[in-house]
Amino acid sequence: MITYIGLENIISPLGITAEENFNQIKQGNTSINYHRGIGFGHENIFLSKLKNTPSFYELLSQCLQAVIKGTEDELILSKDTIVIISTTKADIKENITTPIIAAIKKLTKEFQLQQQPIVISNACISGVLAMNTANNFIKAGIYKNAFVIGADVVSDFVLYGFQSLYAISDKPCQPFDKNRTGISLGEGAGGVFMSSDKNVFKSTCFEFVEGTSSNDVNHISGPSRTGEGLVRTVNNSLALAQLKPSAIDFISAHGTGTSFNDEMEAIAFSRLGMNTIPLNSLKGYFGHTLGAAGLIETAICLQSLRNNLLIKTLGFEEDGASEKINITTRNITTEVTTILKTASGFGGCNASAIIRKLK
Amino acid sequence: MNYITTYCHITLNNCYVNGKLTHSFNSNSIDDFTKEFYKSLILEYPKFHKMDRLAKTAFLGTEVLKKECPEILNYKDDEIAILFSNNNSSALTDVNFQTSYQNGGVPSPSLFVYTLPNILIGEIAIRNKWYGENMFTVAEHFDAEYFVNYCNVLLHKNAAAALCGWLTIDDNKIEAFLFFVTKKDFNELNLPLESKQLIELYTKN
Amino acid sequence: MEALKTKLKQQIIEQLNLEDFSVADIKDDMPLFGEGLGLDSIDALELIVLLENNYNIKLTNPEEGKSVFNSVNSMAEYIVKNRP
Repeated sequence: MITYIGLENIISPLGITAEENFNQIKQGNTSINYHRGIGFGHENIFLSKLKNTPSFYELLSQCLQAVIKGTEDELILSKDTIVIISTTKADIKENITTPIIAAIKKLTKEFQLQQQPIVISNACISGVLAMNTANNFIKAGIYKNAFVIGADVVSDFVLYGFQSLYAISDKPCQPFDKNRTGISLGEGAGGVFMSSDKNVFKSTCFEFVEGTSSNDVNHISGPSRTGEGLVRTVNNSLALAQLKPSAIDFISAHGTGTSFNDEMEAIAFSRLGMNTIPLNSLKGYFGHTLGAAGLIETAICLQSLRNNLLIKTLGFEEDGASEKINITTRNITTEVTTILKTASGFGGCNASAIIRKLK
Repeated sequence: MNYITTYCHITLNNCYVNGKLTHSFNSNSIDDFTKEFYKSLILEYPKFHKMDRLAKTAFLGTEVLKKECPEILNYKDDEIAILFSNNNSSALTDVNFQTSYQNGGVPSPSLFVYTLPNILIGEIAIRNKWYGENMFTVAEHFDAEYFVNYCNVLLHKNAAAALCGWLTIDDNKIEAFLFFVTKKDFNELNLPLESKQLIELYTKN
Repeated sequence: MEALKTKLKQQIIEQLNLEDFSVADIKDDMPLFGEGLGLDSIDALELIVLLENNYNIKLTNPEEGKSVFNSVNSMAEYIVKNRP
């Protein structure tokens, strides 16, 4: 049984469709800008913000609308359809005591959902987890279809928090680079549609092969020095997919731009024997979009599959990790069939997913 | 067939395991209660004190379940999936973190770190060295069907057991329901993992 | 200086939730990180907050923290030197 995935959508400062976003980043355009006085202590911060400052709900709803357009209208109303949402802080700006439930109730009403949406709030791996969950439910026959949407907005709450951790970069983030100093926050929404039936997709779809998650068992905010959790989840996903590491053509890594995270990933991919597989991070274009990251970045992966084009890692210039991995330094036109998407987050969580073209 | 091998309920001042009252205290606040409960378990785990209330409660519940079902410790280090859920994410700590930077203060990094509900899973994973699947979800009400479905899925896939929990913590109220799901009914409670059964256990106490 | 060190120890215990420690348990020259008190990276960041909230000293570079937060002695010396 195959789980199909497609109809990707992205809402970010770079555009409101996946194609628009892909075209922008293809040209090396970033959404990260200098914002004066926006940080705690009136610090000037580089981050990515949508011009009209939409609310979390608006992003969620718009993205879901866009993905729905790619399938038959009634699918969203079916009992066999589940909506899975990925977010870290949802509507924290409007509502600090119940930022998630209020938005979900609204969504259920607006779209007349027949099943209670599942909301995954698991730090930065939420997006990949959401797709993994959809895949697991679909393969088990519990649901036939899943709309998977991730969204998060930039807020004082989150910005000040990362500032307190000294995790915010003083320049646009530089994933894996020798001079990296932290993250650049971003906001937006990303969405995909997954189903056991490829005929309900109005455009070419792909196969979601497998996905798993694993914990580092190390520290709640610092990643494992040995990349243990990331190594385990990738190995598990590969084993369940019955694939060897060499079957992966491209890795869409997490690459946040912090000293510790990027070092951990380099160590992990090296331990996995994946040093030569082309790898990138997209955070230089979108910033770190937290709950939306897994979905926005997967949407770009699907665009890469459609266009046989791997995207350069914006912000990376010089190797800055103790293990050498094959970070893209320019866009690469090449046949791409199988992609590995990974994510890591606070709480020591890690997730991976394998997606490939249909035969 | 998967089973609910052991379960517990924690409310302010009381803990019930498999329906029986096992711990009772006279504390006046959640913080005092969790401190007393921790002391009574004689754990020697200083990291406990840094946790927020959500993580402390989940941690204590897990310790109590482990005592009642020691077979859990025989599983491989990546065979236990950890699935937690609640309806207000990390709301209490969120408010505390926000307070730390308002009114002339400086944002607190140790509070910020707990403003993600999945951190409690991290704490449990670290304590027990469990490398398996982990996920935190937010739902308006306890969703028995989700737990049944997802446990069944994971136990069929790459897990041999699951630690599950629903915890709502408000200013002076704790509502925590934790349970182990396993393929073998170790404690012979004969509680199959089914929605109706799970809802019945959840609403007990 | 002694009064400052005692106050500092109290503040450290409170700020870092060191429930199992009393002021008497923290020796002036005891390493705060690693072997002694066993603090971690988040604790280090909280000590930066402690300096700002309680002594109005802003440490802009966390790297500086390594030497400042070596022990209660080094912290007290730093405070006396840098207090506004």
